[in-house]
Amino acid sequence: MRKSQFLMAFLSAACLSAASASAQTLTVGLDADPPKLDPALSTALVDRQVMNQIFDKLVDLDVNLKVVPALATSWKVTNGGLTYTFKLKSGVKFTDGTVLDAAAVKYGLDRNRTLEGSARKNEMSSIKEVKVIDAQTIQLNLSQSYGPLLAVLTDRAGMIVSPTAAKKAGADFQNNPVGSGPFTFVSRVRQDNITLNANKSYWGGAPKIDKLIYRPFTDGDVRYANLLSGAVQAITPIDPKDISKLEQNAKFSVLNYPGIGFQGVWFNVTRAPFNNKNFRQAVAATIDREAIAKSIFYGTVTPAAGPFPPGTPAASSAITVQKPNIALAKQKLGGKPLTFTLLTTPGSVTTQLAQVYQAMFAQAGITAKIEQVEFGTLLDRADKQDYDALMLGWSGRPDPDGNIYDFFVTGGTNNQAGYSNKAVDSLLAKARAQTAMTARAATYNVALSTIISDTPYTWVYFQRNLVASVKGLTGLKPIPDGIIRFKDVDLK
Amino acid sequence: MAVFALRRLLSSIPTLLIVTVIIFVMVKLLPGDPARLILGQEATPQALAELRRSLGLDRSLLQQYLSWLAGAVRLDFGTSLTDNSSVSKLIAQKLPVTLELSLFAMLISLLISLPAGILSAMRRNTWVDRVLTLLALSGISLPNFFLGILLIYLFSIQLAWIPASGYTSLLENPGRNLLLLLLPAVTLGVGSGAVLTRYLRSSLSETLTQDYVRTAHAKGLTARQVTSKHALRNALIPFLTAFGLQLGGLLGGAVITEQIFSIPGFGRLLVDAVFTRDLPVIQGVVLVSAVAVFLVSFLVDLGYAAVDPRIRYN
Repeated sequence: MRKSQFLMAFLSAACLSAASASAQTLTVGLDADPPKLDPALSTALVDRQVMNQIFDKLVDLDVNLKVVPALATSWKVTNGGLTYTFKLKSGVKFTDGTVLDAAAVKYGLDRNRTLEGSARKNEMSSIKEVKVIDAQTIQLNLSQSYGPLLAVLTDRAGMIVSPTAAKKAGADFQNNPVGSGPFTFVSRVRQDNITLNANKSYWGGAPKIDKLIYRPFTDGDVRYANLLSGAVQAITPIDPKDISKLEQNAKFSVLNYPGIGFQGVWFNVTRAPFNNKNFRQAVAATIDREAIAKSIFYGTVTPAAGPFPPGTPAASSAITVQKPNIALAKQKLGGKPLTFTLLTTPGSVTTQLAQVYQAMFAQAGITAKIEQVEFGTLLDRADKQDYDALMLGWSGRPDPDGNIYDFFVTGGTNNQAGYSNKAVDSLLAKARAQTAMTARAATYNVALSTIISDTPYTWVYFQRNLVASVKGLTGLKPIPDGIIRFKDVDLK
Repeated sequence: MAVFALRRLLSSIPTLLIVTVIIFVMVKLLPGDPARLILGQEATPQALAELRRSLGLDRSLLQQYLSWLAGAVRLDFGTSLTDNSSVSKLIAQKLPVTLELSLFAMLISLLISLPAGILSAMRRNTWVDRVLTLLALSGISLPNFFLGILLIYLFSIQLAWIPASGYTSLLENPGRNLLLLLLPAVTLGVGSGAVLTRYLRSSLSETLTQDYVRTAHAKGLTARQVTSKHALRNALIPFLTAFGLQLGGLLGGAVITEQIFSIPGFGRLLVDAVFTRDLPVIQGVVLVSAVAVFLVSFLVDLGYAAVDPRIRYN
């Protein structure tokens, strides 16, 4: 008897302390532990979830993927697209007290494009020089016109770090990040939590929540269980199979909005069997994209026609989703047998998807063997072009260039197929040098029609952003890059 | 006793050295390029080459092994490729968490196995024994992940008594620490408790058929006295081995349980390191778990020697 009384008292005391501690705290479940909280070094999508709260960027994105002011209040593009001049907001300070002026912005941008091991070098390579004009004006001089630059600056490349903190912490800055954003970094315990406090003196007004805690749950079921039990108030992403259960549950809301990435299959064009264009086209023709979206993803993805998701600037209605056509596939095969290995990563969804592909290929008499390797090995083998076909997608970039250029230009860093077409190369180069988006979009789509016909890659679906939260959480903005901005989010 | 301990300790040094070679080579044999994984999809060949050089991946295998071993004996396992933090520090952070969880789980497993094993042996072949055997077999066959999710569903989602996940250190808030560790410890404790119940039942049953036990009965002692004063002490020797093996196994990483309950322990450190090809972390964690298993089996041997003097002199 005494034992059970003690247990009950112990349990209720613990529950009480848990409830009172979370009054002003918002805990968010992520699908991975963000590895590097340094804008220069970060290579994972999940890092951006956290860094967006800590660092201000020169410019940001709105829900329509339009570039909007952030630290830069206005900007001018002159000199045929070679000079970008930004006016900076005045009176901004980093959370360590350092003044955020043009010199600090120059330090931040230069650090991102030159730091040893920086993952930003490629996307910032067109910047020749960052020049301080006066305390509130900064100028970027380009070696060649580069249309995507503004969009690039809405991501990690445009995040401005505190020069004082970055110099002091050196290589350890990723574990002690300091910016001027709406939240300040407090602590991290690897695999357990990253804790941020509200920046009460934020230039855009203090956030409504006091404390923001991120927790990683790699398993989708565990993430879901933690939301149900109240251990976290929001999770992203949600496993597609849990969507309808959450939508029907009165205690939770689901935000399901378009993303900017794509998924599909690469064909290695440098060796047999896929150095034969007809074979690539045959495989692409067997895939039923609608059926995949419905059966595997419960309608939480959109069938894809190309690399530009609907609603993004270069999306074109002229390019339509390819319908499965087994007769066409057989005709392309011309009676020749086709057997190949499909390389993929383990995981319940990828395995299921690979098996569905296998069955779809088989309808045209194509035999695919599935080989599963972990992600690093997959990338490594893709680099060495040591594969027949492989399943790989992209998280997406707000500017169309980020979804096409490096994938199909000869020698591009993401050109896993080893694809090379001079006409496509010159069109892609022309598009990124143009400044008006309508002209750029048109050029990309001309290049795309050639790429689709050559089929080094076949697009299958566009992923969507899926966020679930408790009903009391308001102010979540569906910005297509999938990064939740917590400054205006409130928890009642 | 001291001589026995020293001899036992010295004899494990060559084995440990072989273990370091195996760990090093096996980690090196893992497919995939850590530099590629760190730099992600966007890496340029030039950045990859730069990173490989700074990670020392361009040196010979022997050079890499020797410099790793030299560090390891000084408890310096290098820095994590993921976030540049010291591997020793990471291990020092995570090991106590898993140690506490393992001890808590072993306590639960003792609370299950001692009474159940003794009762089962004393009432062998009765309905009590059969019921306990059935329960023990179910406990052994129940996968950790299933039991864990079941407990979360029951106690966190339906009853809302215990948070579904998380960890607070014992020093910071002892009450919350124990509360948060309760479900994972039960998840782990049930499985090993069931195994230990079977061990205790069989070793005690065997002891209870020995001549000296019959003599004790003949002297007029009660069954309870015979069991507790005479038989149990002898029956505990094989039980101790099994206990040591179970504890060693848990220290090596209660991987799945830590994953389900989001406990930032040793097992998860290892799993995440494998997924991110964080070689220094994998090597450090595997080496420390190997040493932990050695240490536990050393302590078990000392325990034997204390219980049974014959072992010391053989």
